[in-house]
Amino acid sequence: MTFPPLAFWIPYIYFAVILLVTWAVGRLAGVLLGRGIGQSMPQVSAAAGRLGTVVVWLIGGTFAIQELGVSADVLLLVVFILGVAGVVALREPLQNLGARYFSDIYTPFRLGDTVSVAGYSGKVIEINPITTVLLSEKDTLISVPNSLFVREVVTNTSPQAWREVNVPFSIGSSVNLARFESDLRKSLGKLRLRLDPRFPPVLVTRARSAQSTDLTVTVLIRQPEERDAVTAEVSKRVAELVAQSQLSRR
Amino acid sequence: MPTDQPLDICVNTQTPLLLFPQAESPDSVPVRPPDSQLLSQLEEGVDYRFSPGGVTRMVYPLLRRLHRDKLLGEAHWVSLNPYAPREVRLEDLTLHNVALPPERLAAYGNVKETIWGTVHGLRQEDGSGNLFWSDDFSEYAYYNRLTAELIHSLDAKYDFDLFYIHDFQQLAIGEMLGTLKPKLFRWHIPFAASDIPESWRPAMTGYLNRYDTVVVSTDRYLAQLKEFGYTGRAVKLYPYLDETEYSVPPPDEVRATVQRFGVEPEDRVALVVARMDPQKAQDRAVRALARLARRHPSLKLLLVGDGSFSSAKTGLGLSKSARWRDALAGLARQLHVEGRVLFSGHVTQRELDACYERCDFTLLPSVREGFGLVVVESWLHRKPTIVSKYAGVAELVQHRQNGLLVDPENTRALADRMEALLTDPEGLGRKLAERALETMRLCTMEAASRAEALLLEEAVSG
Repeated sequence: MTFPPLAFWIPYIYFAVILLVTWAVGRLAGVLLGRGIGQSMPQVSAAAGRLGTVVVWLIGGTFAIQELGVSADVLLLVVFILGVAGVVALREPLQNLGARYFSDIYTPFRLGDTVSVAGYSGKVIEINPITTVLLSEKDTLISVPNSLFVREVVTNTSPQAWREVNVPFSIGSSVNLARFESDLRKSLGKLRLRLDPRFPPVLVTRARSAQSTDLTVTVLIRQPEERDAVTAEVSKRVAELVAQSQLSRR
Repeated sequence: MPTDQPLDICVNTQTPLLLFPQAESPDSVPVRPPDSQLLSQLEEGVDYRFSPGGVTRMVYPLLRRLHRDKLLGEAHWVSLNPYAPREVRLEDLTLHNVALPPERLAAYGNVKETIWGTVHGLRQEDGSGNLFWSDDFSEYAYYNRLTAELIHSLDAKYDFDLFYIHDFQQLAIGEMLGTLKPKLFRWHIPFAASDIPESWRPAMTGYLNRYDTVVVSTDRYLAQLKEFGYTGRAVKLYPYLDETEYSVPPPDEVRATVQRFGVEPEDRVALVVARMDPQKAQDRAVRALARLARRHPSLKLLLVGDGSFSSAKTGLGLSKSARWRDALAGLARQLHVEGRVLFSGHVTQRELDACYERCDFTLLPSVREGFGLVVVESWLHRKPTIVSKYAGVAELVQHRQNGLLVDPENTRALADRMEALLTDPEGLGRKLAERALETMRLCTMEAASRAEALLLEEAVSG
């Protein structure tokens, strides 16, 4: 049995090299995108990082496949058609999922608040990926699609609701949470003149997985007109610490 | 308890059950203890000793009793123990020790001393609420979060039925645990809403309201807790002791023991059992002794106790007990009673029993006291007691019926009550001691284990 000549192996070597480079660029893009977007929106930093990595792999994978002599056009076409079909078929659930995702950032209510939207009112008792469940005064359940909370005017009638600033974010599961919280408290302590001094920051764990821990930090502001500025500053400080924590794990 | 299955429980206290000497390498660098050890392979007094303090003295016998009664399944106990192995296995219980780096330990200690001193009315907070925003509080949060994370990881492994968190050092754990399972919190120190700065109230009620049940030591604290804004299930449960831990040493042993502390056979002895701490107000007892010194030349004041876990070098290393002992010795010199104020330091249980047996009466002069289990110990040894009206246990004392109440700020009144017991030991003294025996039964393990078992069962079943 004869060993194939070097020319036979060259496409495979290119294929492997491209995948290697794709892996490196994908990681770099993930970190840079996550950190860059996370500076302003820590809530979406992890998602932005993942999206960046996926895009790089899509491009790198296409180039790599072409090196093997396989036309990537058909593959891309199939992926595109499936994507469009999926978006069309799942438009409503995707809208709700997206709204749920962004409701963490933009919708000023949380569990336990009393809200009104599109003629429906009640206490928020559940926020799932598709709907938000309200408990009305008549003790009935109202299931409101999440997308409505982005499209319609939402009124939060909970007392002092304007004071509360909630910043959800994620950290890697290997990050030392005690150290992170200690650093976060020290950092937010610098803003205490803008915050209600009676309520120190509250850091709540929303969910845990093998990869990450989802948290929300809550502070109360003093002046309603500073809400936007305080939210931005708290988000920035959280993002900086998230980025630092990724670099210095436990 | 009517539950079908034994409960799997995770207990959390700041003070650990066991203290370990801080091992050092030849170049004075602390040696990291092994990760896991079996207690049966260690020697008491050499490798470890039991912590002083009321919390561990209540919790450990309770867990043993609940085990004995087959009410507990898995039992785990998490506490702060910087120099201990990470895990120590006892027969029916596993101890998990949290370690803090020294710089964080000091800052954490500052916060807990501030809360403790304020709640005990020993210091005034400036009202700005800055405690909760201070860098030191970040370390308090660090310790609480570290503990909560350890409990969370244990829960993932053992799937506990409930969490029983003890005392103010762990206040934030309930919020940090983020579990739907029942969380009980026992507040051991005094609870007087008026002592807690208004600026602390929102944060403290926020932390307290994350617990399903909060247990306090007296009816007065219970009323104050509700008034303060706690909306969950509030329960009063008197602190308790395990009467089987106590004994009456033979007279020769009693004599020999107290002689080591400076008590002679002809002496009259007033006994204060308390750790060395200004809140325990041993200085009031020294001043009262000075008032009686001339009329009762054989009267001596025996101060039994050392530092707490916070003061111990193997604990948090805060040195307040040594400072307070020096202050008391200085006061005794100043009042010319230095030879009559005796310091025993830390004593074993057997030595403590000997001190109780030898004394004529006991004093609890604390300016604030969450409860005061030493009074119950005194009752157990059939000794009459003089009790500060500011102690939680004062709720159980009826003046001149089962004890004598006193305002510790009034040393003349304290001296008067001491004199009453010195001059009428067979009449008043005996009457108080005998009647107090009945009261003592409210604070025994027998009564408490039933109440605690019911409490746990109700916490789980709702």
